[in-house]
Amino acid sequence: MKNPQRSPTNPGSLRSRFTQVFLQSLLRIRKHNPTSSSSSSHGEFLKRCRRVKVAAYVSMARAVGTRRAWSRATLWRARNGERQRNLLYGRCSKSNSRERSLGKRKRKKKKKKKRDNEEHSFGHAKKLQKLVPGGEAMDFCCLLDETAHYIKCLITQVKVMRSIADFYSL
Amino acid sequence: MEPSSLTLAGSTDAALESVLTEEIRSLMAPPPESTSSFTALLELPRTRAIELLHSPEAPNSPGVAVPGGPAGTPLRRLGGDGGGGFALAVGSDLAARYPALFGEKNDSVETSSQKVKSEPLTESDSNPNSSPQPLVSDPTVENKGQRPTKRKDREKKAKASAKKSKNESSEDAEELPYVHVRARRGQATDSHSLAERARREKINARMKLLQELVPGCSKISGTASVLDEIINHVQSLQRQVELLSMRLAAANPRVDFNMDNNFAENMSLVDSNFPSMVMPFMWPEVQVNESRQPYHQQWQFNSLPQPVWGREQDNHNFITPENSLLSYDSPANSDFEYCLDSWGVIQFSYEQINRKLEVLVVVLSLHSRATENGAMKVD
Repeated sequence: MKNPQRSPTNPGSLRSRFTQVFLQSLLRIRKHNPTSSSSSSHGEFLKRCRRVKVAAYVSMARAVGTRRAWSRATLWRARNGERQRNLLYGRCSKSNSRERSLGKRKRKKKKKKKRDNEEHSFGHAKKLQKLVPGGEAMDFCCLLDETAHYIKCLITQVKVMRSIADFYSL
Repeated sequence: MEPSSLTLAGSTDAALESVLTEEIRSLMAPPPESTSSFTALLELPRTRAIELLHSPEAPNSPGVAVPGGPAGTPLRRLGGDGGGGFALAVGSDLAARYPALFGEKNDSVETSSQKVKSEPLTESDSNPNSSPQPLVSDPTVENKGQRPTKRKDREKKAKASAKKSKNESSEDAEELPYVHVRARRGQATDSHSLAERARREKINARMKLLQELVPGCSKISGTASVLDEIINHVQSLQRQVELLSMRLAAANPRVDFNMDNNFAENMSLVDSNFPSMVMPFMWPEVQVNESRQPYHQQWQFNSLPQPVWGREQDNHNFITPENSLLSYDSPANSDFEYCLDSWGVIQFSYEQINRKLEVLVVVLSLHSRATENGAMKVD
């Protein structure tokens, strides 16, 4: 058996921060929806699933902080909801206006320079932009950077969630 | 003058490296990945690069000797002005490379004076991507003076000295806020193509990183298929998150199902407060011996500070039977490794634990009394 006194290698690491926030949010979800499996309907179960999923993404974004564009985008999206997405291209919201104006400026810059060099990767870049939160307002270079960090965080998230799920399903 | 300048050079090399370290770390994905890509980017063997970097004397490369002399002096002047040690030949090359640091020279010298000189090779690798180059941009540095903003070398002299030098391929000080691109021999040197080249190299470096991150991508050649792989990987990860969230949503009510709501709360709190991690180690002993007090004393010392567990006298008698409802078999212990990773997190949150345990005491007092009666009967 492992020594219970063993301390983690890095208590401030992304993984530990994410675990803490995610467990807290799971607790909150369970407190608000204390339904047992017999009484819950299918719709409620789906709602609960969605809540857990959103909580997972938001807690990961919170663990990352606002250093990254994708974490800012997820937090902003969670705060404002789906309908605000229509306003994304219209008005400027306070939290994201800087990002979007930067993105617009970069898009204009791109048009000035020759685009043929980057055209070959733009088709895929659009798909990637949709996958990575906040990817629409980024040029290709920043998109790749954000994607790398996003993949790293997703892997951590999946590992932690899997361990928690295994823990609970015993 | 010489010894002082040498020491200054040494310290500013370290300063440079430390500043670059911070920049690199802030700008990039984890350093190990950037290390490998940087060494891939470098056209130079590491030893030579570090030799060039750390040699405070006149430059070693033959091609550098000629421009090194006259070009060294203006930078010595500059170095003297700012009080930094960039005056020396190799240092001047670095200064040419990272002229933004001129503005921060004073700070860096002060902060770095305590820093260790022996920086890890990773950071020094990023520096000498410029060091094999001749001091081509010394005149340009002179012209540009102390502008700390992003810029590229104009490279009117780049071609000339590029012929003198070993004709290394253009390099990209990628992870710094500005980019220096060397024109290859015979290539256009107008700003548009330079900018494009810089961009392309930035993108290529990032693609390399992504290839390392995504499994199975390193063998694929071609940007399009690599991007496809990356997209597939992200989609699969997001699908996994969905599946796991479904599992968690499904598992939560089952936790309530196994025990009463009180115990569910207990288990949830326990889960987040890690005594559950301590408990499996205690249980086999507890269940075997049936005398719980000595083990729980031990437990108190191991898990949490005394004042917290002082309130918990009621609870350990019933916590163990409740937890025995869950099958904490040995396969489960592998997951405790993962829970132990969150150990540190929970170690931080003693206040939260205290609050939650107070709630625990209130809620579970009935059960504790019941089990105490049972335990007393056994004793």
